[in-house]
Amino acid sequence: MSSLWPFFVIGLFSGSVYALASMGIVLTYRTSGVFNFAYGAVAMFCAFTYWQFRDGWHLPEWISLLLVLLVVAPVVGFVSDRLYRPLVGVSTEVQIVVSLGILAFFEAGVPLAFGGRTRAIQSIFPISTFGVGSILRVSWAQLATFLLTAILALGLYVLLRHTRFGMASRAVIDNRDLAGLLGVNATAVGRTSWVISSVFAGLVGILLSPSQGLQVYVLVTVVIYAFAPAVLGRLVSLPLAYAGGMGLGVLQSVLQRWGASGTVADIEAAFPYLALFVLLVVYGKRLTEVRSGVKPVIGASVMSPLLMSRQKLLTSGGLVALGLFALPVLLRGPDLGDVTAGLIYAAIALTLVVLVGWAGQISLAQFSFVGIGAFMAGHFAGAHGSNFLWAALLAAAIAVPVGLLVGLPSLRLSGLYLALATMAFALLMDNLVFPRTDVSGGYTGMSVPRPRIFGISFASTTSFYELCVVLLVLFGVAALAVQRSAVGRRLKMMRDSPLAASTFGVNLTTTKLVVFALAGAAAAFAGAFDGAWHLTVSPSNYTFAQSLELLLLVVLGGRSLVAGALLAGFTYTTQLLPIPTEIEKFIPITIALGVVSVAAVPEGSVALTVKQFWAALDNFRRLPGSPMPAALALDARGANGAQLERGANGAQLQRGANGAQLQHGAQQHQGANSAGSDGRDGAAVYPAAALSGRGGESPLGGVAGGVAGSVAGDGSPVEELVATTRGGGGGGDA
Amino acid sequence: MPEGLLQAEDVTVRFGGVVALDSVDLEVPSGQIVGLIGPNGAGKTTLFNVLSGVIEPNGGRVLLGGTDVTRWPTHRRGRAGIARTFQRLELFDRLTVYDNLLAAWEGVTPGAVLGRHKSEGRARVAEVIESLDLGALATRLAGTLPTGQARLVELARAIVTAPRVLLLDEPSSGLDDVETSWFAQVLGQVAGARDGEPAVLLVEHDMSLVMEVCAEITVLDFGQRIAHGPPEQIRNDPRVIEAYLGAEIEPEGSAIEPEGAIAP
Repeated sequence: MSSLWPFFVIGLFSGSVYALASMGIVLTYRTSGVFNFAYGAVAMFCAFTYWQFRDGWHLPEWISLLLVLLVVAPVVGFVSDRLYRPLVGVSTEVQIVVSLGILAFFEAGVPLAFGGRTRAIQSIFPISTFGVGSILRVSWAQLATFLLTAILALGLYVLLRHTRFGMASRAVIDNRDLAGLLGVNATAVGRTSWVISSVFAGLVGILLSPSQGLQVYVLVTVVIYAFAPAVLGRLVSLPLAYAGGMGLGVLQSVLQRWGASGTVADIEAAFPYLALFVLLVVYGKRLTEVRSGVKPVIGASVMSPLLMSRQKLLTSGGLVALGLFALPVLLRGPDLGDVTAGLIYAAIALTLVVLVGWAGQISLAQFSFVGIGAFMAGHFAGAHGSNFLWAALLAAAIAVPVGLLVGLPSLRLSGLYLALATMAFALLMDNLVFPRTDVSGGYTGMSVPRPRIFGISFASTTSFYELCVVLLVLFGVAALAVQRSAVGRRLKMMRDSPLAASTFGVNLTTTKLVVFALAGAAAAFAGAFDGAWHLTVSPSNYTFAQSLELLLLVVLGGRSLVAGALLAGFTYTTQLLPIPTEIEKFIPITIALGVVSVAAVPEGSVALTVKQFWAALDNFRRLPGSPMPAALALDARGANGAQLERGANGAQLQRGANGAQLQHGAQQHQGANSAGSDGRDGAAVYPAAALSGRGGESPLGGVAGGVAGSVAGDGSPVEELVATTRGGGGGGDA
Repeated sequence: MPEGLLQAEDVTVRFGGVVALDSVDLEVPSGQIVGLIGPNGAGKTTLFNVLSGVIEPNGGRVLLGGTDVTRWPTHRRGRAGIARTFQRLELFDRLTVYDNLLAAWEGVTPGAVLGRHKSEGRARVAEVIESLDLGALATRLAGTLPTGQARLVELARAIVTAPRVLLLDEPSSGLDDVETSWFAQVLGQVAGARDGEPAVLLVEHDMSLVMEVCAEITVLDFGQRIAHGPPEQIRNDPRVIEAYLGAEIEPEGSAIEPEGAIAP
């Protein structure tokens, strides 16, 4: 048994780093309720800056270290706090998406800032070894890391047990609303936690990079290991997070003792994900989210479902389909091929719209189903694709039980924990299932033929393109039919209030399982086409990273709209098209920023753009060039019943508008003399407040609010009102 | 024991070592509005959750029209005719008011999710919207309504399912006096309108509302039923006064500070 000791020592080292990361994640979750998916990305960013200081600019090591840990990391923590704090009251879904968007931001931004190549980074501790007993050698770096982490853990424990900060932090966890009433400064507690957590992340990056190599993706992945110990402490217990991190490191390392290759090696790599998945399912309903008891105020534009009339829908849908069929006249060859990829992507995105946008079940595993479809097509489509349709249907059938498996955790978990469970599932598929040669052909991959359906070959670029248009149209029509049916309403009942849904006869168990299974089946069906597009597919085409990108693109496009899926496909295509590298390299970071800014809007950028377009158009009509007094102009707008109603929607807006009305009522009369004083002033107030209130809901929306303010014009009371209301609304969710 | 449309018999709920409900009996007879009152922490919400199936009791039974529904999940009870509203509003925020009602109707109607009985559902929703005068709100998104209107829509959503029993959880909280009296009026019209159905169980802090509309009142304190009877009897029951009501229902309001006696 003595030969286990070296693995044990290595395990204590990696365990220490996992423990550090787990504690960092738990610390901010307890105080802010935000689970930091971007934790690994922060660690990675700090490690890159450390390399830049020390090796890039040749600063002394200790100065570089102090700069990273005392300046860079705290600044990141400070900025994170500013960014996440307004999200305390909003839905978990939005928090998750913003956090994932920030992860994507770092993944895209670091290569832009530092260049993408892998770097070697030196350990801050000496790596020379000393002997313990006869066979065991321990490096000073390992010992120092272990001790440093233990000291930090102990220090954190003391800080939380025996100081005012600790007491305040515990009060915030127990009941953040009550803590606020009792004079605990939740804001300060949150900021301190974010800074400490961020410094821990910096240490994690600097400690891990020497052994892992400094790369954009490696650190991010390794830090995902730390999610399991964090969940072991149910995201609130620091001692359990520490113990879990150490335990995980040791177990994982000891597993290495037996498996340099083969099944045990696979399990060793996948062990932390397996632990995460199992922990989530076992804890189940005992996992509670740290939430504010105050129901978030949701603004009108965030709510808007924007369902088109049937006639408008048929017209616009028909036009899109016609345009797609006509496209080969303009585009040929590789470009048409890229658009084909976008069509398939849009079809896949539609399955996520159903799952996330309508049923409210966040999934980070959708591309695992796409992979099932692609590999099934590779196995069963036949040499010339003559069995393609059957292979695609078979893939869909196989995806049903797999979908049920992913759906199972959803019976006991929701929100954040469900997202984590689907993430663990995707990573398990990546590490245990897809690399198997009998599944995917291994890392060399397998070839997938272009389809031949009912004797017609779709091997050429143009014919395959047309086939994919048909696929997307079929998916789109099916989705639209579901959206407007009793089934769609049932999904949205579950999304908006599971409690009320079950009270009104909805069997949540069945509904969740069915939607996971069907969304999975549809994704697998589309996956067969995706495989045929690639011609050769390997596990690297269908990883967790792809699932993550899909979710972000769907959020950006609009997760509750069919058009949102189309936009996701379109965005995906732009990344493929031959555009200048100077522009192309900025696309991912633009997407990441876009996601963060529209996360709160369920219809994503589609609806936001449309709304801002109309708002801008309305404002343009009323620009100062016209002699019409501001109040009168607004009044004219108010006379339009539909607009008035839409404007007056949000509870927040009405509160703002009412209060403002009282304050400014008298002034309003003076200011609006020419508008007459026959009681129309009240109506005039609403649209102005509406515009600015809407502005409060997303950073981009602020533009619309700003325009509204300027439109109200030269120092009229209305402008003052707009400013007041915007301030109030902005505090809520900007 | 009188035969109630909805009955709780000997219901006991423990959370860890804490006894939230201790052998509580409750009857909601046909056509009646029964009030359920008690100080904070008395177990009202727990009992409500037991009745609607959100919590399974450690002991005792729940009967709906004589059928034992104790082990039935929430959605099955919903289909069997138990409808409720929520103290913390639980509307389907991103659906319109119209769709909130339609979705609820479809939820409890067998086959409706597959697209059957479409016209029947739309007719029923239209009828309820008209009877509660919600026409102006029908196309609004439920999540954008102010509290008063949202409470009314929650009531409408429960009524549209033509329930046998209606459970109302603090329907007047967040309403002003005018809205509350309008709510009481609507409630009076709704209760027992169809052959004694729905029977109504009302959890409420607003004493004047309870005293005004309820035929019978059950009082809980520390998980136990301490009194049951018509409003006048409850008003004068010394145990009730001691436990909870204080000056609020004293004829002259002389004895105790009304504010201090009633938990917020």
